[in-house]
Amino acid sequence: MPEINLGGWAESAVGWLQSHLSWLFDAVSTVLTGMYDGVHAALGAPEALLMAGILAIVAWWLRGLPAAVLAFAGLAVIDSFGLWDRAMATLSLVLVASLITLLFAVPLGIWAARDRRVSGALRPVLDLMQTMPAFVYLIPGVMFFSIGPIPGLIATIVFSMPPGVRMTELGIRQVDGELVEAARAFGTTPRDTLVRVQLPLALPTIMAGVNQVIMLALSMVVIAGMAGAGGLGESVYAAVTQVDIGGGVESGLAVVVLAMYLDRMTGALGKRVSPLGRRAAAKADAAAGAAVASKVLRYRPGTAVAAVGVVVLALVAGGMRLADGDGRQTAAAGGGVGQGRAVKLGYFPWDEAVASTYLWQNILEERGYKPEVKQLDPGPLYTALAQGQMDVQFDSWLPTTHQQYMDRYRDRLTDLGSWYGPTSLELTVPSYVKGVDSLADLKGKSAMFGGKIVGIESSAGMMGKLNDKVLKEYGLDGEYKVVSSSTSTMLAELDRALKKKEPIVTTLWSPHWAYGKYDLKKLKDPKGAWGQGEQIHAVGKKDFAKDFPKIAEWVKNFKMSEEDLSSLEAEIQNGGKGKEKESARRWLDAHPGLVDKLAPVGA
Amino acid sequence: MSRLKAEHLYKVFGRRPEAAVRRLEDGAGRDELRADGTTAAVIDASFEVEAGQIFVVMGLSGSGKSTLLRMLNGLLEPTSGRVLYDGRDLTGLSPAELREVRSRNISMVFQHFALFPHRSVLENAAYGLEVRGVPRAERLEHAAEALELAGLKGWESSWPDELSGGMQQRVGLARALATDADLLLMDESFSALDPLIRRDMQDQLLDLQKRLKKTIVFITHDLNEAMRLGDRIAVMRDGRIVQNGTAEDILVRPANDYVASFIQDVDRSRVLTAGSIMAAPAADAAAVAAVPDGAPTVSEETPVAELFSPFSRSGSPVAVTDDSGEVTGVVTRDSLLAALADQPNERPREEEPEAPTPLAPASEPEVITHA
Repeated sequence: MPEINLGGWAESAVGWLQSHLSWLFDAVSTVLTGMYDGVHAALGAPEALLMAGILAIVAWWLRGLPAAVLAFAGLAVIDSFGLWDRAMATLSLVLVASLITLLFAVPLGIWAARDRRVSGALRPVLDLMQTMPAFVYLIPGVMFFSIGPIPGLIATIVFSMPPGVRMTELGIRQVDGELVEAARAFGTTPRDTLVRVQLPLALPTIMAGVNQVIMLALSMVVIAGMAGAGGLGESVYAAVTQVDIGGGVESGLAVVVLAMYLDRMTGALGKRVSPLGRRAAAKADAAAGAAVASKVLRYRPGTAVAAVGVVVLALVAGGMRLADGDGRQTAAAGGGVGQGRAVKLGYFPWDEAVASTYLWQNILEERGYKPEVKQLDPGPLYTALAQGQMDVQFDSWLPTTHQQYMDRYRDRLTDLGSWYGPTSLELTVPSYVKGVDSLADLKGKSAMFGGKIVGIESSAGMMGKLNDKVLKEYGLDGEYKVVSSSTSTMLAELDRALKKKEPIVTTLWSPHWAYGKYDLKKLKDPKGAWGQGEQIHAVGKKDFAKDFPKIAEWVKNFKMSEEDLSSLEAEIQNGGKGKEKESARRWLDAHPGLVDKLAPVGA
Repeated sequence: MSRLKAEHLYKVFGRRPEAAVRRLEDGAGRDELRADGTTAAVIDASFEVEAGQIFVVMGLSGSGKSTLLRMLNGLLEPTSGRVLYDGRDLTGLSPAELREVRSRNISMVFQHFALFPHRSVLENAAYGLEVRGVPRAERLEHAAEALELAGLKGWESSWPDELSGGMQQRVGLARALATDADLLLMDESFSALDPLIRRDMQDQLLDLQKRLKKTIVFITHDLNEAMRLGDRIAVMRDGRIVQNGTAEDILVRPANDYVASFIQDVDRSRVLTAGSIMAAPAADAAAVAAVPDGAPTVSEETPVAELFSPFSRSGSPVAVTDDSGEVTGVVTRDSLLAALADQPNERPREEEPEAPTPLAPASEPEVITHA
C-alpha cells in the first residue's frame, strides 16, 4: 500500500495560500472583523440591564409578556454571574456568523433545490463541513486570519452552514409539485415561481433551518473560544480545563440562556414572517378564550410600539454612555519603562501558564506597559506567535512536550530561556496514605487502591510512559489497572477521595497547583523510570527581543521555585475564575520586593 | 380552421427519446421500449378541437392522457409532433413566448385544485392576471367576476383551506376563467370530488359553457363523465388514442373490444337518443303504420330514458319527428330493448389481435362508478 501523503499536500497548500493569498484573507478578515466589531459595539454599549430590557421588548413583541419576563430574568442572571460582556461577545459572534451563514446557505439551498447535480455535488461537501472536527480547520484559520474572533467565526460558519442549505433545499423541494406546475401553467417565470410560490411555502422549513443554524453557531462558541474568539466559550473552556465547577456551571448556564432566547425568538420570527404562520397564529388567538388574564399575557405590542420601546431604551443607553464618558477620561497614563506600550501575552489554560502569565501581567502593568492577556489552545498560540500576532508566552515544555511546535516554527520564534525546571512526572498519593512513599511500595497494595491508578487522557505522553515503562519496571503491571479519563476528571476524583479520606493513587506532574492546595505525596522513583524532566521556557515571537528589549531581558532572568509556583497557582485556583489577575496581584503583594527582583528598573 | 390541433404527438421518457420515436413509427410496441428503459407515454396522438367544443380525453391511469394534456400548453415538450393553437405552432415557441401564451390563451384546472395556500381565494383567482402584470385593482375586479361566475360570490376573503373540495375546485375554475383564456385544459378536475359534488360541478361547467363558449380539453377516467360533458371523446389506451368520436359513436360503434368493454357499465339510456336507435320510416313501414294517431312524438335528441314512459303506457311504436313535425323515424319496443342490451347492436368492425381485457373492478373501481 503506497502511502498517500495527503497531509503533506494539505500543509503545503496552506503554506502556499498563506503566502500568495494573504491579501484575500486580509480582506475577508477586515470585513468580518468590521461586522463583528460593529455588532459587538452595538450590543455591548448599553448597560447590561438596559440591553436586557431591549432584548426583553423584542421577546414581548415576538412572543408575549411571559416570554419577555423570562428573557429579562435569564439575561439578568447572566449579568449577576458577571458574564455579561462575554455573553454579548458570544451573541455578537453568533449573530454575525448566522447572518453570513444564511447569506450563503439560502442561495445555495435554492440552487440545490433546482438542480439535482448541484444537490449531489453539495451533499458530500456539506457532510464534510458538518463532521470534520472543527480543530482541523481552526488551526489553518488561525494561520490565515490570526487569532481573535475571525477563525472562530469561520469555524462557526463552516459548521452551521449545512443545516441552512439542507433545510432550504428540503423546504423548496417539498412544495407540492402541482402548485409549481400550476404556477408554470399560468405562465410564471422560473424566478417568479421561486419568489411567489416556492419561497413563501418553504419559509417555515427555511426558518427551522435558520433556527438550527443559530443553535449550531452557539454550540460552536466553546470551540471557537479555544482559538481566542473570547466570549462565553473562553470561560467554559477555561473552567473545564481548570476543574472550576462553579465557573463552568455559570458560563454553561449563560450559554443555555442565550440558546433558549435565540431559539424561541427565531421560532417566533418564523411564524411572523411566513404568511401561513401568521394565519395559524391568528387562528390560535381567535380560538383562545377571552379571559382578561389570558388577554394580558397574550398581548403583544405592535411592531411600531415595540420599535419605539427599543429605540427609547437605546437612546437612554446612549445618553448614559455620554454622561459616563466624561468621567472616564482620567485613566492613569503609564509612565515608567513601558510608556504604555501594548504587549500581548498568550497562554493556554494550563495552570503554570495561567499563573506565570497573570504574574507577568501584573509586573508589566506596574512597569507602565499595557499587557493584554489572551487564552488560546497550544496550536493556535504557537501559530499566532510565529505570525507575530502574539508577543510572548510562558509555558513551553521542552525538549519534549512542545518540541514539535518549536521545530515547526524554529526560526520564527525566540526562545527566552527556561524559568522553571525540571518538571517531573509522578504518581501521587495523599499524605495520609501511610507506608507508601515510593513506587516500589505500591507492590502488593493494590487492594488498598481498588487495583486502579487514576490517569489522564489516554493520548497524553505520560500515560504511555506509565503503562509501557514505569509499571513494568516496578513489577506493577498486572496488579494495577491504569484508568484513563481526562485531567479534569482525575482532579475531580482526587478531590473526592481527599474529602472522604480514601486512599487513591493518581498520575500527576510538577508543577501543579494540586501540590499547593492539597497535602500530597509524590512517590519516589529510585529506578528513574519516569526519565528526565523537562524545562519550562518562555517563548517570544521572532522580533521580541528587538521590540521589547527590556522585557526580554527580564524574562531571560526569570526563575521560579516549585514552592513559589505552587503557592501562586493555588492562590489563583482559590481566587476563582475571572479573578486571575487580582489573585496574582494578591500573591505579589504577599511577596514584597519580588517585582523589583523580577523586573529591575535602570541598570 | 380548428382552434386546437395536435399532429402526431409523441412523448417518450428515458434515454434517447428520438430514437425511440423512430422505432415506434416503425411499429415497435410499448413493451419493447420499456425493456430498454424508455417509457412511451403518448404515441402518435392526433386530433382537432373546434372552437367552443368540449373535447374529452378518456383513459385509465397510465394511459398517457395527462401527459398528452401537458403537451398542449408546453408544460411538457413533445418528443415529436406539433401542437397548433389557432394555426400557431406552440412547439416552436421560445420559453418566453410560451409563457405569454399560457398567461393569455391557455389556462388550466388541476386534479387536486393546486390552490396556493398562502393566498386568499381572491388572490388565488387573480393569480394569472398578477403574473401577466395587470394592475392590482383591475385584476382583483376580474378575479371577483370570475369567482361570481364560479358561484363563489362572498367567499373572496376566505382562505383555500377553509373551503370544501367542491368550492376549492370552483376557485381553481375561477382562476382559469379570470385570465379570459379561450382554451381551458382540465386535468381530471372533478375526480377528487365526491359523486354528488362532481355531478354538480359537471352541471355547472355545462351551464358556464353555454354562456362562455370556451374551448375545453377535459381529461377524465370516468366514462360517464366523458359522456355527459364531451362533444367529442377520445379514448386512450397505452399511450394511443384508440377511438375518437361522439359519445354515441363510442357507445354504438366501439372501435374495438377494449372500448366495448369500457362502455358495458355506462347508463346507455342517458347517452343514447331516439335518433340513434330509430329506424327510418321507409325501412320499417309496418312500424310507422302501427303508430297510433295523436300519440305523443319525440325529437331525435330525446334521450332513450325518456322513451320508457310512452312505451309503458302502450306497446305501440313511437314516432320521431323533426322541428317541423315531419316524421323522420320510428322507435319500436324491440329496437329500444336491443339498444339497452349489453352488447352494442353493431359488432366492432375489426377485432384487435390481442384478447379483450374486461375491466377488473378491483383494480380500477373508479372507472365504473356512476355519477
